[in-house]
Amino acid sequence: MSEREAGVAVAEAPIELVVNGETYRLRVQSNWSLQHVLHNELGLTGAKDFCDRGVCGSCAVIMEGRPILSCMTLAIECDGKAIETVEGIAKANHPLIEAYVKHHCMQCGYCTPGFVVTAKALLAKNPDPGEEEVKEALAGNLCRCGTYPQHVKAVLEAANNLRRG
Amino acid sequence: MIVMVEEIQDMPVNPVEHDKYIPEEFNAVGRRGIRRLDGYEKASGKAVYTRDVQLPGMVYARMLMSPYAHARIKSMDTGKAEAMPGFRYVLKYDDPEVKKWKALHAEESDVFDLLPDTAYFEGQPLGAVVVAETEEMATEALKLIAVEWEERPFVLDQEEALKPGAPLARPDLNPDDNRHGLYDLWYFNQHYGPNPWPIVFKEGDVEEGFKEADKVIEFKARKQYHTWAGVEPISCVARWLEDNLEIWVHHQCPYTSKEELAEKLGIPMGKIKMYCLYQGAMFGGWTWQSWGYAPHILTALVARRVERPVKLVLNARESHFYGGDIDHAVHHLKVGAKNDGTITAVQIKGVFANAPPGWIPYNGIVHFHENTRVHNLFLENRGAFVNVGPTAAYRCEQTPNALCITLVFNYVADALGLDPTDVALKNDGSHGKDMTYLSEFKRDHGFPIRDSLKECIEAGKKAMDWEQKWHKPGTKRLPNGKYHGMAFCWSHEWTDTSGVGVAGVRIERDGSVAVLSLHSDIGVSAVTAYAQIVADELGVRYEDITFRPFYDVTFFLAVPGASKNLTANGYVVRKAAKKAKRRLLELATKTGEYATHIYKPLFEGMKWDDLDVRDNMVYVKADPSRKVPVKEVVEVGRYGFGATHGPVYGWAWHTQGIYLGEAALRHPLCRQAHFMEVEVDPETGEVEITKVVNVNDVGKAINPEACEGQQYGGTYMGAGRNKFEEVIWDPQTGVKLNADLLNYKVPTILDCGPIETILVETGMGWGPYGSVGIAEDVATMVDGLMGPAVYNAIGKRIDDYPITPDKVLQALGKGSE
Amino acid sequence: MINMAKETLGDYERLQADGKYRVGADIPAITFSEIGKRGIRRLDGYEKASGKALYTRDVQLPGMLYARVLMSTHAHGRITRIDTSKAEALPGVRAVIRHDDPEVKGRELNGSYFGPEWVTPEAASWGLKPIHLVLGDEAWYEGEPLGVVVAADSEEIADEALRLTDVEWEELPFILDQEEALKPDAYILRPGADNNIVQHPADERGLIEKGDVEEGFREADKVVEFRVKRNAHLWAGAEPPSVVVRWRGDNLEMWVHEQQPYHAKMLISEWLNLPMNKITVHSLYQGGAYGGRGNPANNSENGMNVLAALLARRTGRPVKLLYNRSEYFYGESGDMAVTYFKVGAKSDGTITAVQIRNIFAVYMCAPGIEHFIDNTRIPNLKCEGLAVDVSKGPAWWCRCEQLPNCLCLTLVFDRVAAELGLDPTEVALRNDGCDGHDMTYLSEYKREHGFPDRDSLRECIEAGKKAIAWDKKWHQPGMKRLPNGRMHGIAFTWNHDWDDVRGTGSAAVMFENDGTVSIIGQQSDIGVNPWTAYCQIVADELGVRYEDVNIKPFNLDHGFALMSPDGSCNLCSNANVLRKATKKAKGMLLELAAQKFEGVEADELDIKDSMIYVKAAPEKAKTIKEVVTLAMPSFVSCVFWTEAPVIAWAWHTQGLWGEALETGRPRLCRQAHFIEVEVDTETGEIEVTKVVNVNDVGKAISPETVEGQMYGGTYMGLGRALTEEMVWDEQTGVLLNRNLLNYKYASMLDYGPIETIIKETGMGHGPYGACGIGEATPTMIPALLGPAVYNAIGKWIDEYPITPDRVLEALGKLGE
Repeated sequence: MSEREAGVAVAEAPIELVVNGETYRLRVQSNWSLQHVLHNELGLTGAKDFCDRGVCGSCAVIMEGRPILSCMTLAIECDGKAIETVEGIAKANHPLIEAYVKHHCMQCGYCTPGFVVTAKALLAKNPDPGEEEVKEALAGNLCRCGTYPQHVKAVLEAANNLRRG
Repeated sequence: MIVMVEEIQDMPVNPVEHDKYIPEEFNAVGRRGIRRLDGYEKASGKAVYTRDVQLPGMVYARMLMSPYAHARIKSMDTGKAEAMPGFRYVLKYDDPEVKKWKALHAEESDVFDLLPDTAYFEGQPLGAVVVAETEEMATEALKLIAVEWEERPFVLDQEEALKPGAPLARPDLNPDDNRHGLYDLWYFNQHYGPNPWPIVFKEGDVEEGFKEADKVIEFKARKQYHTWAGVEPISCVARWLEDNLEIWVHHQCPYTSKEELAEKLGIPMGKIKMYCLYQGAMFGGWTWQSWGYAPHILTALVARRVERPVKLVLNARESHFYGGDIDHAVHHLKVGAKNDGTITAVQIKGVFANAPPGWIPYNGIVHFHENTRVHNLFLENRGAFVNVGPTAAYRCEQTPNALCITLVFNYVADALGLDPTDVALKNDGSHGKDMTYLSEFKRDHGFPIRDSLKECIEAGKKAMDWEQKWHKPGTKRLPNGKYHGMAFCWSHEWTDTSGVGVAGVRIERDGSVAVLSLHSDIGVSAVTAYAQIVADELGVRYEDITFRPFYDVTFFLAVPGASKNLTANGYVVRKAAKKAKRRLLELATKTGEYATHIYKPLFEGMKWDDLDVRDNMVYVKADPSRKVPVKEVVEVGRYGFGATHGPVYGWAWHTQGIYLGEAALRHPLCRQAHFMEVEVDPETGEVEITKVVNVNDVGKAINPEACEGQQYGGTYMGAGRNKFEEVIWDPQTGVKLNADLLNYKVPTILDCGPIETILVETGMGWGPYGSVGIAEDVATMVDGLMGPAVYNAIGKRIDDYPITPDKVLQALGKGSE
Repeated sequence: MINMAKETLGDYERLQADGKYRVGADIPAITFSEIGKRGIRRLDGYEKASGKALYTRDVQLPGMLYARVLMSTHAHGRITRIDTSKAEALPGVRAVIRHDDPEVKGRELNGSYFGPEWVTPEAASWGLKPIHLVLGDEAWYEGEPLGVVVAADSEEIADEALRLTDVEWEELPFILDQEEALKPDAYILRPGADNNIVQHPADERGLIEKGDVEEGFREADKVVEFRVKRNAHLWAGAEPPSVVVRWRGDNLEMWVHEQQPYHAKMLISEWLNLPMNKITVHSLYQGGAYGGRGNPANNSENGMNVLAALLARRTGRPVKLLYNRSEYFYGESGDMAVTYFKVGAKSDGTITAVQIRNIFAVYMCAPGIEHFIDNTRIPNLKCEGLAVDVSKGPAWWCRCEQLPNCLCLTLVFDRVAAELGLDPTEVALRNDGCDGHDMTYLSEYKREHGFPDRDSLRECIEAGKKAIAWDKKWHQPGMKRLPNGRMHGIAFTWNHDWDDVRGTGSAAVMFENDGTVSIIGQQSDIGVNPWTAYCQIVADELGVRYEDVNIKPFNLDHGFALMSPDGSCNLCSNANVLRKATKKAKGMLLELAAQKFEGVEADELDIKDSMIYVKAAPEKAKTIKEVVTLAMPSFVSCVFWTEAPVIAWAWHTQGLWGEALETGRPRLCRQAHFIEVEVDTETGEIEVTKVVNVNDVGKAISPETVEGQMYGGTYMGLGRALTEEMVWDEQTGVLLNRNLLNYKYASMLDYGPIETIIKETGMGHGPYGACGIGEATPTMIPALLGPAVYNAIGKWIDEYPITPDRVLEALGKLGE
């Protein structure tokens, strides 16, 4: 849903995003977060709003290799950036996905994509993490359902499968 | 409502018997002024059609269309397209997943691959499906696809096509010549034997008939290719949730589409969720196209590949000019008749263009067989492949039958100088037998015995002032200088030949009632009729019934096709309502499994069958003063945690008739008669339809306004087919020249004079309450009627439809040579 | 609920006599192949992991407007003037509804948890207190939605419009503490009331008495008295509330974030006076609920549904009404209470009397004594419950209403053990029983009703003690300082496992034309993975492969609604619904199949691995598809069936409304929990180093799912015990920590390893002897921290959560 007709006086600017390898040219308002653009404008609903202030990690996406909080990032600052969302990770059949399914790393599932994105960034940086490293990496993701122990199993298994190729 | 108790449980409906559960009085059924369920949404623009669907993250798909009448893609380079910003995906004809699907619905029509590499007519979708962020980008990307074509010779005319040495129109289906109908069709072969060509139908001995005749007439009639041009262009939206598919289709047969999708995509049917929103018209057209399901499958395929919701859109040209009606045919007729108007023999030889074998059989002769006493009949039909695009039953497959019966009776009456209405009555009957046979049949099968045709003709003649106005051909010139003409035609009403539906009826805890099933709404106000039936069967007010047929609730109703929609589904919802009613009454007496909590029964010590429902009140049959509102009965229980009884719910299924109903000797008993008055301008050749009278014996009109709507709409559609609807090809290139609604005319409000609609209700239909279908027959009957009317005006025959001014001038010898 | 309890109280015998209510063991009649198996691929797994799962928050419709509602800035106050002219003038604003709008003025939220029949304030009071207006002008707590709601082209514009709304307040006195509210000179919050008491001991459920506690205290060797306070905490589910509404003429379509969409439908139908059959309800995946989305009669549920519906009708556009995170900081768990205990016990650990006086804030969740009745042999019990109105948001039961019962049971048993210097596990076993009777009574019941006679508590305790090395580690309080300087503590608690007491659902089972099986019925998914379990059950009951069964329960349109995920009764109710439907459908299928197997009757056939075979000659087999297509041969475009579709539906109500004993179904399964902590006496910090959950679930249909509930419950429970507290400002009555930065709940790093042990004694009243697990752990764990800390530092801390400052205070280290 476009908000061009917005009555709020805000600047608009054209930006180009490369999301999951696909180029998007769009006009964004200066007050739009990256999460808003991905979720509402591009309809990539995997990046969720949960805590709305950078506490929960549910809106995590990977930008230039680093996991970032898209609800704390202004879209207008991301011009020309390459972004990977959970949709892209799933489409690439990353072993994390099946590991997550297998180990029941979800209950209500609303926060799960954020975990997957964060874990993917971890494995990209550290293909052979230890249990503590996984916990450290995922400590910024909140899960109210408390699925935590299952994530560790899943991430370690996915790392294994990745290394084995 | 007087209904036997046992029958509330189950209503055995005998397919060869008159409905035996007709109430003494109706409340909603048959009432005028019922507020149609879809009315406000459609008038207010709030009705949502497939074209209106938008999903978050949705991308758009467009298809390549053939610029040639007959050509094969030799190679395709999508490089430029793929480089375009916003481009997301291209699915090509050589993709293994699409390649493996050679044919869709061979039974229905000409076979096309799911995503063909060869075009057999200009404007055929093929080659590539392009996906992009916006519709514009997708269209742009299509332009950037470089295709190397192998052009092939083509043929447009079906009689040309059958001449030796004609270019092969469908070498893939018939490498030897253009004879059509040579591939196996399981049900077709069952009924007509293997590989029939030509298809022959014989009854009695026509040669004998011609000998008996005082007069033998021969003539040739022809119908040009016309299209339904359904209003809403074709679109399809698909979204995958893992291996669960959600799909929004513009189609009349969502359930069959589900079967197709399951097979072609290799997923269980249970994982497909269909949405069938309001349907912007179709009249059977796209639905019966063999390729009609392809858009669904292709959309689902690309959506699975791009992992985004996808909306495939065809534009107006691609949608409206994809195909035409099966009556694109030439008929050679020979008729014998006695001076008193008794027809002794009818022989018809037809050549159909691309007509699907499933529809050809007997087409032309069927109505003589089904509802005349003429006992010498001979039919020989040929199908020919041509490169003009597929044809299918589009309101409806009876058009050739209707044209032939209209012209034959008109020719005979004219040749013998008789009133055509008398000739009709003289030959009315069934299977070569006269009315006494039908009367017996009616008696044996529980029908009232009435002379439907006579009633229709009398009513129509009166309305048309026939006795005053009818005159010999070319004898009446009006003060305005135009010639006045009028004509009459008749046939039986389309009876239900088949149809299966399943539906649930649920009484909500507030006493309101929901009908549950998936049904494609194509505008015939069917859901309103179902609601009326449910209301009467339950004994509640019509206003308390709702039916939102758009959702996949597992149940589905018979498709709105073959005018059987109501006759099949009327029984379905009625049975379901009965079952729900029983649960309601059981709840009122709290018997059976329906209650666990201890509370005072509303009707203590009663059995459910001591009760009945009327005016939203459950009452004691023996003492109607003892009554409780339905709402209170349903409310005694609670839902959720503390629920005390199960849902007040019933479902039922019904199969109406036996496919190819005539086989089951379910004779059409209701008749229809149509009258048309025209003025022909001898200077311009223009024909003005000044008045039409439609008389339809619908058996029982559940919703009179809906019936009249079908009469009005059918007459307008017929007028268009009579006057100007015709697709024109450039003979040099095989390219359509008028594939847009500017140059392909469909009727406007100005194209027909006043229409008088008359409903006769003899109760002699096979449907619920003795009803029959009406949706197709007016459009089908009227579109041959202008020929005789024009003849009656100018005394010259024009048997080549549409009857355009140039043909009229030609007939008047005014055409330029 | 009160009335229902009355209605059924004692009636179950009569219903049994009528054969309408069956009590007894459910002995599996089938061989399990999918049920109980590990490694089943969960149905919702991929969608959730891949980000494809759709939630209400994700719904976008063409032309959709965004709506936001004003929130009160005062703990108690009245709007004297509201000026929306600037807001209305703002471009992009499409509709503004004010509290004085005739359509909403003075109109209360209707209904409650239990649906419209509970609309009277008296009836609703128990389920919802205080009664609020859908859009009022009086604030009963800070953050209450009221005054005005705005629909605009974007969320930003709607927010801006609210900022431009000029509101003038009359501030009124407020009270935050329930004991303050009881003082004779306390300000009375409700106009016209003569005190702040909303529920009195004299009221229903206010007073529960069994035996004679005075007698019990006299028999006791030791009588203990103590007081404990439980502060407010919040469930704060992941997905903030939103609703999307679209009108089609007078047909309403809505996407709700609800545990009980069916109730939402009933309520909005009543509020708008719109027939239910004109309402289509979609419930997509639910981003967390825990009961918190199970109170339709709440501003954040039915209230926001109503407002969105009104805005959508006025604008003729689809409307999405959203709360943001900080706006959704009300609806706290209903265990805000101060409890006064008096307990008598013999020196051998036999408890002779328990007296409890509860003073609840806002509303009474559960009396506190019920578990002593349900599963101890203690003869003398007395419980007074008092609910007092304060200026805090409506409290609700969030995972779950048994919190006060669990807190009381845990603290009583651990206090007694501590005072008598006994091993708490011994004290538990010594008092285990039912309704004042000892285990022989239960053994008899089990025998009479066909249950296996096993000692669930003993089995749980033994397994748990072993896992945590209890016999090595348990020690007298304050005795064990670790090398790292911290004090080591260990504690144990126990209870019955949540049994199904009620729950109703309906659903259908259908064989599709291709032989696959569909389960038809709506259910909100709140994450407990029930759909997978349903498919396992249907697969085994039918004899088909799990892969051949599917369910798509995202809307109510089918007309069937499965039991909502509540009260841990979800599985117990719905499994029976599905078994009934499956039985019928299977019968229909075999009838049909008999026509295909010449000379064979239906009852000579059965199904295995999705193949129908002749029992006497298993080599004679046909696929289900072959048989189904006999009924439903696909006939091109004109669907052409020769037989009715193979579909059957059923409904089932599990148990009767009312407590376990009222309905003749004593709890037979037990659970035991152990935790180990380290307390830093310098900082007051507590580290939970290990937790062991032992749950006798009777029968685990999906073991991973059961473990998921144990893990999750432990994290939630520990958060409640350690960090989760809503903090109000004494001066202003403003909630100070209405965000997840300052309201802390557990992250991955917060607690030590959790060991989960599943016991399967088959003694549940549910299908296959199962009982519920969804709520047990998070409800049991919170109170357990107190005893653990006591065991570490030798001091009882009488206020939850147990934060470092309270530890230091207990250690006398906090400067006055």
